[in-house]
Amino acid sequence: MSFAARRLAQAVPLLLIISLLVFGLIHAAPGGPLSLYLDNPNVRPEDIARLRRAMGLDRPLGTQYVSWLAAFVRGDWGYSYADGRPVTERMIERVPATLQLVGVSTLLAVIVSVVVGVGAALRRGVDRAASVGSVAGLSIPVFWLGLVLQLLFSNTLGWLPSSGRASFAGGGLADRLAHLVLPVAVLAVAHAAGWSRYLRGSVRLALAQPFTNAARARGVTESRIVLRHALRHALLPFATVVLLDASIMASGAVVTESVFAWPGIGSLFTEALAKRDYTVLMAFLMCASVAVVTLSFLADVAVHALDPRTRGEP
Amino acid sequence: MRIPRLRRFAPPLGMTIRSRFRVPGSRVILLAIAVAGCAKDAGRAGASNALLIVGYDREPDTMNRYATHILEDIQSCVVEGLVTSDEKMNVVPVLAAEVPTIQNGGVVLRPDGGMDVTWKLRPGVKWHDGKPHTSADVKFTVDAINKGDWKPESTDGFDRIASVDTPDSLTAVVHYKEVYAPYAMQFFRGTLPRHLLQGRDIDKANDYNRNPLGTGPYRIAEWKTGEYVLLEKVKDYWRGPEYPKIDRILFRFLPNTTTRINQLKSGEVQLVALVPWDKVRELRALPSVRLNQVLGNGYEHVTLNEKHFPPFKDLRVRQALAHAIDRELLVRTILDSLVTTVDGPIQPLSWAYEPNVKRYAFDTAASNRLLDEAGWKRGPDGIRAKDGQPLAFTLITQAGFAIRENVAQALQRQFRDVGVNASVKLIDGTTISTVWFSGDFDAMLHWWQSGADPEITLFFASDRSPPAGRNINYFADDSLTRVLYASDRTVDQAERAELLRAAQRRVAELVPELVLYNTAKIDAVPASLRNFNGNPTNAGPFWNVYEWEIGQAGSSR
Repeated sequence: MSFAARRLAQAVPLLLIISLLVFGLIHAAPGGPLSLYLDNPNVRPEDIARLRRAMGLDRPLGTQYVSWLAAFVRGDWGYSYADGRPVTERMIERVPATLQLVGVSTLLAVIVSVVVGVGAALRRGVDRAASVGSVAGLSIPVFWLGLVLQLLFSNTLGWLPSSGRASFAGGGLADRLAHLVLPVAVLAVAHAAGWSRYLRGSVRLALAQPFTNAARARGVTESRIVLRHALRHALLPFATVVLLDASIMASGAVVTESVFAWPGIGSLFTEALAKRDYTVLMAFLMCASVAVVTLSFLADVAVHALDPRTRGEP
Repeated sequence: MRIPRLRRFAPPLGMTIRSRFRVPGSRVILLAIAVAGCAKDAGRAGASNALLIVGYDREPDTMNRYATHILEDIQSCVVEGLVTSDEKMNVVPVLAAEVPTIQNGGVVLRPDGGMDVTWKLRPGVKWHDGKPHTSADVKFTVDAINKGDWKPESTDGFDRIASVDTPDSLTAVVHYKEVYAPYAMQFFRGTLPRHLLQGRDIDKANDYNRNPLGTGPYRIAEWKTGEYVLLEKVKDYWRGPEYPKIDRILFRFLPNTTTRINQLKSGEVQLVALVPWDKVRELRALPSVRLNQVLGNGYEHVTLNEKHFPPFKDLRVRQALAHAIDRELLVRTILDSLVTTVDGPIQPLSWAYEPNVKRYAFDTAASNRLLDEAGWKRGPDGIRAKDGQPLAFTLITQAGFAIRENVAQALQRQFRDVGVNASVKLIDGTTISTVWFSGDFDAMLHWWQSGADPEITLFFASDRSPPAGRNINYFADDSLTRVLYASDRTVDQAERAELLRAAQRRVAELVPELVLYNTAKIDAVPASLRNFNGNPTNAGPFWNVYEWEIGQAGSSR
């Protein structure tokens, strides 16, 4: 069996186990899709029993799992407990907003990381500043940074809209870009903080390798060594990190989206979690798992193909 | 940051990546900064009759008023009830010509113990598609809900209806199997359009559930999921061509409270209903915003679960706890004097309110005396105990509700002063409903929000503990239960009020729960908005949206 086929064969049982665990966990969490109904005193026990039956929540948990799984693999992801619409419809309409946010902020974070990471690898002063900045970027909670930026740029200065994807009044491209700035900045800061440190490490590692010394010996300029040799060397592992992180972000920048009322997958997840919307939660978590498993599979296969040393095992 | 799942360090083979990083990302940033200035005033033009922007705390689940389980602010702008309740909790007719009562002959008690309610509909009302609104729609609504093959939130009251007669197109006679005192609010959520929904599976009728056919001043122009609902005024609204005054209303979904308040401050939204009490202070200084406050039809209180913590069964213990609380201090400090203390479950705005009940003043001496009498002696640590059991219980309340967390801590401190050890436990909003419904708690700080009808049977009758009701005090008193059920069977308002007043006096004597204060409702609206009156009940402040108007003066910021 080829390497790719073996890895693929491992992924299927892994996803099954994940689905079982996730299903068990979200059903074990206290509350359920009906607990919000209890707050209305006029909802009577007869109503709760009727709604449980109508939603199929009165069946044994095992039965619920099997019927969910059977439908899920056929592509029938069921209906949302919250609004009765098909889960696929609810998810798909949120994808563009998340892709936009994650795409732009990943791009920005990559640019910042490369500049900062390379700078830090070369200059001690830059390295100190970048180190402090990274620690701050990694430690500041995303929701706090988001709220502070809202206060500063939206309330105090009045430069930028505080949340949402667009002013309803329209305003076209400029309006949409203005809405992007704050959430993108928050997400980019959070990721660039980690990625730039990673890249700095890789570049420094590369600069210590014999081939850079060899290049120096050949009289290649230092900037050329960094850009043409060390950075190239460092970019493959860096790209893997970025790809994996971005795939996790693609399943929703949960906190950022909810602070900025960004209508993406992440805010759908927050909403579904509060309402214990089981079908939406399952679909979301399975998509996230598939994304992570697929990307790490692709990363493994790519490395296997690119690096002959990993083909050691028979 | 995540560690990549690479088995070994990768060699420099990624040469093809070279050109991919030459994306002109910096240009995007520059552009964004450049446009920021232009976009500065986008959506901040100030409130006008052309557009009112509402910051709303959640996206509706469905626009079907009978199926939704959250507040119906957006829905009630589109789908009108036969009646609604106003800022004084009076039941006022909307699609009904008048509210039926015994006095006007609209309610007839039958000798067999049932009753007939005759609804006269307002003539000339049309659905938004031009079809007339008739008694057939009333009958269809009752039949559809009682058929039970879809998911209305509650069938309360409808299940007591045997049948509906429609002698003419504007008269619906509703035959109840038994006397049902809250009949006036039965069609508060309106009617379902028969000509659109007959023979259909209403759960799956997403055309209706997402964009319902109504008779109200507005219709849904656009629902952008996760972002907003835009309402636009209908032509030919039945109240006349001068209504509604505001052309469009935009509800933006802003679940994060801080974000919602920030947007109000920056002028991106102009109206926020139900401002959390701890945010009121920062809004007072805003010249563009007026804070409209009404008494609420709810009350914050501590439920004492007698089943789970048996010492609460002793009346002296409950009275002692009531005397131990300095409610004035809580209101003055934590609540910034935004609310007023009350002494019972029926609120001052109700026609059934009884002001003359036994009150429990803050009096630690009385509290200590009662606890001593009940046999709870102070131990060396200051905590009282009896037969080796300490007077210690857990007080649960909702996490993330800042005011409540603070009130719970203050109560803990005040109980401690009389030798009672309460430990506070915070539980998230979804979970806490399940916890109290199962009865698995000692005491809980929370409120009930009720509709305009003053029924309290389900909170205090001895046989109405979950699942049969909301008596989560697990409190039982035969005479109180008898009075409550008698009030449910009394339709005449004056007679029913007498019974409910007796019930309130009895509740105050027995202290099944520790009543703290009325849940004031504070809405932030544009300073120039006229005719906004607020609403104490779950009818919501949009009940009279047709007459809202942005005044000339002060409309510019």
